[in-house]
Amino acid sequence: MNLVELQNISKTFYKKDDLEHTVLSDISFSVKRGECFTIIGPNGCGKTTLLRIIALLEKPTRGKMFYDGKDIINLSNKEIVMYRRKFSFVRQKPVVLNTSVVNNIAYGLKLRNVEKEEIISKVKEILDLVGLRGLANKNARSLSGGEMQRVAIAMNFILSPEIYLLDEVSANLDPKNAALLDELITKIKQNKEKTIILSTHDPLEAIKYADHIGVLINGKLTQVDTPDNIFTSPKDDFTAHFVGYENIFEGIAHIDQKSGLNRIKIKDLNITASVQKEGNVKVCIRPESIVIAKTPPAKTSFRNSFKGKIDKIRDLGNICHVFVICDSQKFLITVTKQSRINLDLKPESDVYISFKATDIKCL
Amino acid sequence: MTNELIDGMIEAFILIFTFDQEMWDIIFVSIRVSGMATFLAALISLPLGSYLGLHEFRGKKTVSNLLNTFMGFPPVVMGLIIFLLLSRSGPLGGLTLLYTTTAMIIAQLFLAIPIITGTTKAAIESVDPALRETVQSLGSNNRQLWWELIKESKKSTIAGILVAFGQAISEVGAVIIVGGNIRWHTRTFTTAIVVHTRMGEFGMAIALGIILIVIAFILNYTFTHLQSGKD
Repeated sequence: MNLVELQNISKTFYKKDDLEHTVLSDISFSVKRGECFTIIGPNGCGKTTLLRIIALLEKPTRGKMFYDGKDIINLSNKEIVMYRRKFSFVRQKPVVLNTSVVNNIAYGLKLRNVEKEEIISKVKEILDLVGLRGLANKNARSLSGGEMQRVAIAMNFILSPEIYLLDEVSANLDPKNAALLDELITKIKQNKEKTIILSTHDPLEAIKYADHIGVLINGKLTQVDTPDNIFTSPKDDFTAHFVGYENIFEGIAHIDQKSGLNRIKIKDLNITASVQKEGNVKVCIRPESIVIAKTPPAKTSFRNSFKGKIDKIRDLGNICHVFVICDSQKFLITVTKQSRINLDLKPESDVYISFKATDIKCL
Repeated sequence: MTNELIDGMIEAFILIFTFDQEMWDIIFVSIRVSGMATFLAALISLPLGSYLGLHEFRGKKTVSNLLNTFMGFPPVVMGLIIFLLLSRSGPLGGLTLLYTTTAMIIAQLFLAIPIITGTTKAAIESVDPALRETVQSLGSNNRQLWWELIKESKKSTIAGILVAFGQAISEVGAVIIVGGNIRWHTRTFTTAIVVHTRMGEFGMAIALGIILIVIAFILNYTFTHLQSGKD
């Protein structure tokens, strides 16, 4: 049984001058109890609006939504409050009340008329959990962003909701706070009764927790699948780009009957792949699957090897993005800083790039 | 003229420092009338203003425009309207409220309602929508949300109430029409200043003027303090 189910949810905002702005169109997916569902997509794709709709803070323009089989779009005011209390919504930018940290954390329980003794013991427990004991009596608005986010998390987690809605919660956190959040999310995941719906623009964060991922691009859910399937067989080139396939080329594929290998022609470049797909294809290669060398590779476990020239190098701290042009096609290759120094990679230098036939995806 | 001014000033200070009975009566009537009117207006306007600030409905724009117009409603005209309603031949003439402090409270009440309603509405609307959603998503019902938003915007709301009181106590048109400026009874700061100036009794007029300005100063000081100060 699905705990939450969305059917063709659409949201259009009407601005002044009757300008329409459709933020979400025909979103359908379902989440089972105990599952972690991750919505992944670039900034501005509608993630927050989608979560606000699920949290019953915004009404969709069209579509149906069910909680445990019950329609939760058309509810009375009383029922809205009842169902909102099953969800908790942690926002990307935390908002706290103009009062002490303790009062903030206790607020949701007070709204539910929980006994005072119970509130006190629960608040104590969660203060330790999020490491805010020392700041308990400070005004929450005077805290730093990371501390405030911890207060916001504590305010929601103390309520022990059925469903945790987490909107890019780790986006603005420093490593220490991010580690704490990671610990908390892992803890919730261990409880098989609790459900998480999380949004992120970071593919790595998506794989970390998700049982299922929904790819949201420009207000449309382009793919809903397991993390493995999304990362190994993205449905379109935008998703492919987004989940880390930086090298995408258009080509014509033809399977060689003798060897069973796929020969793909990308303009003047002939590459060999093991995927069985013919005709017009989009070839995807992850930057980390390509090996770069100054001399032609000796071993031939690489079916594909090309000579090229370094166009430019982008330094990203520990790793570097090296752009290599081979027969007018531009490849992005990631190398560690150490190997860049060892190989003495510089713009304009001649290099050989190699990749396996099995590392090529075709769309 | 110079003599009159100096004599008036001296007399004013004598009146103030000898706690003149009539002067105190006037102060008491003024504060009671304007205070009561503001208090009753706040009782009506806080829920009304928050309702307008919280909810979207058809015709809200018209209501807002009307509200803004009434915020600057001329007190004299309000006095006239209340006078016509309460006069012996008017629809509410049977209540025989004309020339009583109750009539003055009613007139000032209707002047204060739009001011407090308008400022409360604006204060509630200016609360960060994200805060409102946070309070909602933590599971508040409408009453709990309303209370939290009032707390959040209490500075501007209290400022609105102070402005309404300041307007009421320094207003002359309405109270002189419906109160009749009866000595020891419905005479206020402003109506007393009018009548004493007319009669050339500048001492009392200046004394009342000074006290009125002191009250205005205190209100203003509190108002600015609220606007700039932290809690």
